[in-house]
Amino acid sequence: MRELPQKEANLFKQILKCYENKQYKKGFKGAEQILKKFPEHGETLALKGLFCNHLDKKEEAYEFVKKGLRHDLKSHICWHVFGLLYRSDKNYEEALKCYSQALKIDKENIQIMRDFSLLQIHTRNYEGLVDTRHQLLELRPQNRQYWIGLAIAYQMMGKPDSGVKVLTAYEETLKDIPTKPDYEHSEMLLYHNSLLEEMGDIQAAYDHLDAIEKHVCDLKAIREKRAQFLLALGRQQEAEAAYRTLISHNPDNFAYIDGLQKSLGLGNKSLTAEEEAIVVGMFQELQKEYPRSNAAKRLPLRYASGDSFASIADEYLRSMLRKGVPSLFVNLKTLYSDKTKEAVIEKLALGYLAALDKSKGFDHSGSIVEPPTALLWTLYFLAQHYDYKRESDTALGYINRAIEHTPTLVELHMTKGRILKHAGDFNSAMESLNEARELDLQDRFINSKCTKYMLRADKVAEAEKTVILFARADIADPLHDLVDMQAQWYLLEAGESHLRQGQIGKALKRFHQVEKHFAEFTEDQLDFHMYCLRKMTLRAYISLLKLEDQLRSHQSFVRAAQGAVKCYVSIFDQPDGVEPPEMEGMTEAEKKKFRSKQRKAELKAQKEAEEKKAQADQELTKKGGKVDEDPEGVKYTKAEDPLGEALKFLRPLQELAPERIETHLMGFEIYIRKNKFLLALKSLLKAIKIDAENATLHEQLVRFALAVKKAGSALSPAAKTVIDKHWNDLYKGQDLAAVGNSFLKKSEEQGSVPHLISAAIASSLIEPKNDKAEAILFLMADDKYKSTRSLESALVAQKTLRSMRSGRVSEFRAKAAEWFPKATVFQSV
Amino acid sequence: MTPPAIMSNNSTEDKPKNAAFRVGLGDITPNNLGQLKRLNTVLFPVVYTASFYKNVLDVGEFAKIIYFNDVCVGAVCCRTEVVEKSSAQNLYIATLGVLAPYRRLGLGSKMLKHIVDHAELSTTPSIAKIYLHVQEDNEEALEFYKKHGFEVTEKCENYYPQFDVKDAFKLEKIIS
Repeated sequence: MRELPQKEANLFKQILKCYENKQYKKGFKGAEQILKKFPEHGETLALKGLFCNHLDKKEEAYEFVKKGLRHDLKSHICWHVFGLLYRSDKNYEEALKCYSQALKIDKENIQIMRDFSLLQIHTRNYEGLVDTRHQLLELRPQNRQYWIGLAIAYQMMGKPDSGVKVLTAYEETLKDIPTKPDYEHSEMLLYHNSLLEEMGDIQAAYDHLDAIEKHVCDLKAIREKRAQFLLALGRQQEAEAAYRTLISHNPDNFAYIDGLQKSLGLGNKSLTAEEEAIVVGMFQELQKEYPRSNAAKRLPLRYASGDSFASIADEYLRSMLRKGVPSLFVNLKTLYSDKTKEAVIEKLALGYLAALDKSKGFDHSGSIVEPPTALLWTLYFLAQHYDYKRESDTALGYINRAIEHTPTLVELHMTKGRILKHAGDFNSAMESLNEARELDLQDRFINSKCTKYMLRADKVAEAEKTVILFARADIADPLHDLVDMQAQWYLLEAGESHLRQGQIGKALKRFHQVEKHFAEFTEDQLDFHMYCLRKMTLRAYISLLKLEDQLRSHQSFVRAAQGAVKCYVSIFDQPDGVEPPEMEGMTEAEKKKFRSKQRKAELKAQKEAEEKKAQADQELTKKGGKVDEDPEGVKYTKAEDPLGEALKFLRPLQELAPERIETHLMGFEIYIRKNKFLLALKSLLKAIKIDAENATLHEQLVRFALAVKKAGSALSPAAKTVIDKHWNDLYKGQDLAAVGNSFLKKSEEQGSVPHLISAAIASSLIEPKNDKAEAILFLMADDKYKSTRSLESALVAQKTLRSMRSGRVSEFRAKAAEWFPKATVFQSV
Repeated sequence: MTPPAIMSNNSTEDKPKNAAFRVGLGDITPNNLGQLKRLNTVLFPVVYTASFYKNVLDVGEFAKIIYFNDVCVGAVCCRTEVVEKSSAQNLYIATLGVLAPYRRLGLGSKMLKHIVDHAELSTTPSIAKIYLHVQEDNEEALEFYKKHGFEVTEKCENYYPQFDVKDAFKLEKIIS
């Protein structure tokens, strides 16, 4: 029974309108009115459910929609409504099924088709999308949106040529092309051009630019593309002219200058002496023409060498130090990959310091008296320079002199903090940052930096107090504001600090919050599928789609994933929680006693904390805040399948960041624990392909071989064959001990501490109950390891000794304290 | 933040040329009070109280920070004092100082001039006189204030009981 009497039928039309106009309450009432007389009218029931959904009555929503569907299975409205309900719950798979059911019933329903296509592009179902877009276009060929929608569908499925055909066909139907540049038309033409470029037909794309120019608003885009195409077509002279014009519009654009250089045939990475002279000459001309261009001054430092570099660097440094540019060192440090350039810069800066001290000028000519700030910035520069070289004492000497000279400058205290951090004294580093913060309380940057340093020193409570100074004050839980604001830097630093402190639940909570942000970013694009087509911002839309597809390769996600995998692996390895350092070396009985004592203390603390929390929650609720039911993140630590949870973080990386070796090293750690030997092997092989010399790889390979041996007959013969084959390819029948020895020999030859550590771990596994591993770690005391003996690697070495239950931990600690005198971790307690 | 810059370039033929620099005065606010405290700690042996710093925020133009090439290098802090049976007030310069590397560049004079100018302009209340104390042996400071029209009016014995040189001179400049 679908047909309603006239009165109700009109009312039904009205409530449909209500839904479109978002008048959910009114629509809800209307639906109830119809249902009073016709309680089994399926479409009205379904709509009532939809209104419930928007009025925050989720359960009733599903109940009514399903009931409606039961009463009227043949109604496209019921299926459409069901689809909308699923979509609002982000269950796109089910929503797509509902839409497709609705379209079977009503084949030409534009509205449903549009919703369908929206979800198809959102879920990247391009095959289906092309179909739907074709149908839409056939139904509405007079509407531009549908032409372009089809072209985009073709492009995204990798057929830009079909996209071009669609656009060309559409352009041919146009009778009156706007005479004045019209933004939407212009964007369509530029999008058309981008498709030609994507096809790789540069000549066609170039010719197309000429044809569309008079209809295009974004003339800068035309000029940039033309220059780029000319270069690609090998028309050097014209390209040169095009880039010179662009430079005249913006002489600080690196890409333009790069283009000019390439058009002059000087784009090679390594230049001959002659070419170098020409490039330097080119920059001199540019400087003369555009004296205010920073790019023209900075870029030649990249290409010049020898005396020419020294003289350009001299001029550049003097002008920046005189002016007082705090970012000078950051700007120049990329040049340090060339050790001779680093040495030249060091010599220049030391020369300035000596001259400024003696005669207040950058040289001893006595012709110019520099302002006192020149000395200040020179000291600042030298401090950063030596910090970069990890000569902490020298760096501290310079920064302390600078602070004595001008104690009010925020940057100086920040740099002092950074030097101390690199030297391993996290507490003093934090104090320096706090001094900097107190000099300028309204600077959010320094406030955030200070927070970060507090977290590095594992002072979470202080960090929270500091960071909320810049959070919204008017909400009940300011710390949660950082989650809402997607302040990932904070969440990552906090998570990593909790992880260091063995607070796995809290750490996971933070890492999951970051993961959730990425899910939100993905969701956010839903709004743009329709909007961008309507507003014709096509080029930006395509770049958004491409960005979304790569989203999780972003550094923040990688960090969150790495942290989360470590947490879940540790839950798997130590389901009772992380062992605190006090428990090291205890016998089982002692451990038991220690644990029970600890549990009692925990229970007491927990009770107190609960009381405190109850009070705080009450206040929070009063202020309208949402109570955090699980501040400790217990639900994460109780995960039934921690390794499965870890895999959820790993998979996006396997797909989007396969070029990072960490992805596969992490993969190994998970698979080996799941006894998935072939997948573990696959991770190892991928890692080998990226960097066969990676230090951790050796340790993992040895662990793999031992695990395979231990599995014995539990391993299927087929798997065993595959593994044996690869193992033979790698090691040509050597036994494990020999593999270990040859790796150790190579590590010693290279003088590399990370490799030494890997060799030691492997050795302790191959030959347990042997002090060989210990001895390997102590090799790093030799001076030939000095350059790779970083603070981090010394820490790992010490941790490794501990986990081997070595009796020489304190001996090692004493040595490390000599290498890193400021590092608090190595100081004896 | 920094008011209009001034450029200084006192080139003469036989003297070395001074590179150009910028100087400007800025307000003291709760947010940069930390800089003032740091300056005072370095410049003066006296430890100033919380009420001193609170007052600094209330005197408007009579407390200023000075910037040299955008770096904070000096400050002046005054307080107003009620004069009995008069609507006018006295202005007391509690601190005026510039970091050592930035002296002899005219920064102190610029700050003092700013204070005197504003004292002369002030009407509600009007300022009767500006005065201050200088340690007896601080000849540089005495000369500096005399150059700007201040006169020694009194010798205050044991004014700084905590220091080696305990006596101070009181200097005054009559405004209205």
